[in-house]
Amino acid sequence: MEPVTLEIRDLHVNVEGKEILKGVSLVVRQGETHALMGPNGSGKSTLSYALMGHPHYEVTKGDVLINGESLLSLPPDERARRGLFLAMQYPVSVSGVTLQSFLHAATSAVRGYGDKAQTGARGWLNAHLIPLREFRKELNEDLDRLKMDPAFLQRYLNEGFSGGEKKRAEVLQMALLKPKFAILDETDSGLDIDAIRIVSENVNRLQQELTMGILVITHYQRLLNYIYPQFVHIFYEGRIFQSGDASLVDVLEEKGYDWVKDEVAQGTAAARS
Amino acid sequence: MSGVQTSPDFQAVSLRDVEALSDFYAEPDWMRAARRDAWTLAQDIPLPHQKEEAWRRIPLHRYPLDSLRVARMSRERTALDDLPPCWHYTMAPEDLVSGTLVHCNDVNSYQAMRPEDLRSGVVFDTLHRALPTHGDLIRRYWMQGRTTRPDFNKLTALHAALWHGGTFVYVPAGVRVSRPLQSLLAYDVDSGSGLHHTLIIAEKGSRVSLIQDRVSQERRPELNLEMVEIYAEEGAWVRYASFQHWGKARYSLSVQEANLARDANFLWINGALGGQMNKEFLSTSLNEPGARAQMYGYAFAVGEQHIDQSTYQHHRAPNTYSNLLYRNVLRDQARTVFYGMIRAEQEAAGMEGYQANNNLLLSDAHAYSIPGLEIRCNDVRCSHGSTTSRIDPQQLFYLQARGLPTRDAEGLIVQGFLRSVVERVPLAYMRDRLEEEIIQRFWAHV
Repeated sequence: MEPVTLEIRDLHVNVEGKEILKGVSLVVRQGETHALMGPNGSGKSTLSYALMGHPHYEVTKGDVLINGESLLSLPPDERARRGLFLAMQYPVSVSGVTLQSFLHAATSAVRGYGDKAQTGARGWLNAHLIPLREFRKELNEDLDRLKMDPAFLQRYLNEGFSGGEKKRAEVLQMALLKPKFAILDETDSGLDIDAIRIVSENVNRLQQELTMGILVITHYQRLLNYIYPQFVHIFYEGRIFQSGDASLVDVLEEKGYDWVKDEVAQGTAAARS
Repeated sequence: MSGVQTSPDFQAVSLRDVEALSDFYAEPDWMRAARRDAWTLAQDIPLPHQKEEAWRRIPLHRYPLDSLRVARMSRERTALDDLPPCWHYTMAPEDLVSGTLVHCNDVNSYQAMRPEDLRSGVVFDTLHRALPTHGDLIRRYWMQGRTTRPDFNKLTALHAALWHGGTFVYVPAGVRVSRPLQSLLAYDVDSGSGLHHTLIIAEKGSRVSLIQDRVSQERRPELNLEMVEIYAEEGAWVRYASFQHWGKARYSLSVQEANLARDANFLWINGALGGQMNKEFLSTSLNEPGARAQMYGYAFAVGEQHIDQSTYQHHRAPNTYSNLLYRNVLRDQARTVFYGMIRAEQEAAGMEGYQANNNLLLSDAHAYSIPGLEIRCNDVRCSHGSTTSRIDPQQLFYLQARGLPTRDAEGLIVQGFLRSVVERVPLAYMRDRLEEEIIQRFWAHV
């Protein structure tokens, strides 16, 4: 059987009328790990938001497909239900919504419980939710693996969470939503070394269990010491500048991004002459 | 003889109704006289004018004033199971509470109390039944507030003359009521106007919680003229959770006031969900040093609803503390008015008073927010603030990205927004029920 693919085809994206992504093409198969590395301002986060369908990011050209089906006309929640997950660099806090009630609602929605609620008349309020006991059992196991205190569940979503707590909560969501493809947007930012270890161990475990395709978006190679990419793409000014294997990480580590800048400038000059 | 004429605005009631109430309940003379005086007063005072600040944003002329009438009286009591099932949803199971009191159309239809609380002298019954036994006590407190008095306005005078059906809570000194008390005011399609009077007296060092719910069904526009009086004596702890889930054609005026003595502690939760138009005066008077009050409120207004609330934190003694948080959600063409005042008198040095009003708009509805301070003393700590906002697109995107459809995500945000008020409600059962009501309201008429 052919593996499921996440395919990005010549993607152009505008933000407030300005073109940020200028033709990105990339194919991630389930089970593969890709790293997208680039300097700040190269459009990495724009790519992750655009893939997830943030309304602020306008796709002007190209396509994004999971297994041949275009996602572009789908709202973010439909993309999530098709198996796409974005671990955000800056998770948003929602006051008054406990982590548990949020996880319960989200997990139920992604697993299709919401559809049942449409038909149930009486007691519909909870018909769209996975039975609580069943859910708590699963949740407790995942909490344990992430070394998170169950008291967390009663706190409001991301409110007052430390950087490390937020990122663990993101991975906890990933564990429950069981995506086919996960985008990790600067997941290591704000993490100490222990937290990186726990987070990456769990990402690696989930990849094994779910044969998940992963796109790691990062500025530094640090996270890639824990989550090993088979494919590395250097991202610069809204495009993939160069793709290769894991050895590219070392090249970047050694030379930084300046050589990319120089080569792009030379390339442009060569094209002009 | 202009003083005894029937007011042209209230055709359906007369002095005869006033006398009939006193006769039917065989009221003591002082109550007869109080009703009669109030009736006379009602004839003398004009209706509140829209030029008065508190009445500026509620169209009183749209109230069905001519529908004011007293319900048919009957003394029958029924079992809880005889109540229409559609009213049961508001009530907690009896084993979770210390007592239950139900009024249908302002006639008492059920009363029960745990024997242990009964033995300690707690009274939880209808005012009509308590008048013969606790008349002197009731008389000492009767309509003594700044707003809960006959001459506050014409409508309170009418209430004082025609009040019918009453929830009475009395807790003797030092007694702690073991669980919350619950009171239900229900009005069916045959009801008269709502004329309920609630009186809570918590003696020195006592503790009590009352949860009061209001439900109704109307065939035509109906009026509700209600009053709630709370007196917390020295060191008493009182919690009052008050909710209205009125039917769509109810027009309500509710005047509620708490008076706090030295070191008394008061928690107030006010939930407004139903009704066509609601005007509420919600006041706390901190009369003696060390009194503390927390006032929480939420409203969820939809359709053409008006929910208009005037709150008053009245500091009349040194070292008193009050903190208020009112949160409103609005949809469609609904309108809410929050008119909040902190007033510190000259003798209130060392007081602390805080006030916040937050409004969440789900449409182009209009939320008025008018916070105010009147400070007449030095050495105060006061703040007030109000916000009106829409659902944060970043929050929405985050929840959507986790698989929640837009409406579900918005519903979760609305629930979260109101949770800081709902989480203060004394009984977990009630909190769950209110959460459910909020989300059902969110999903209704989509």
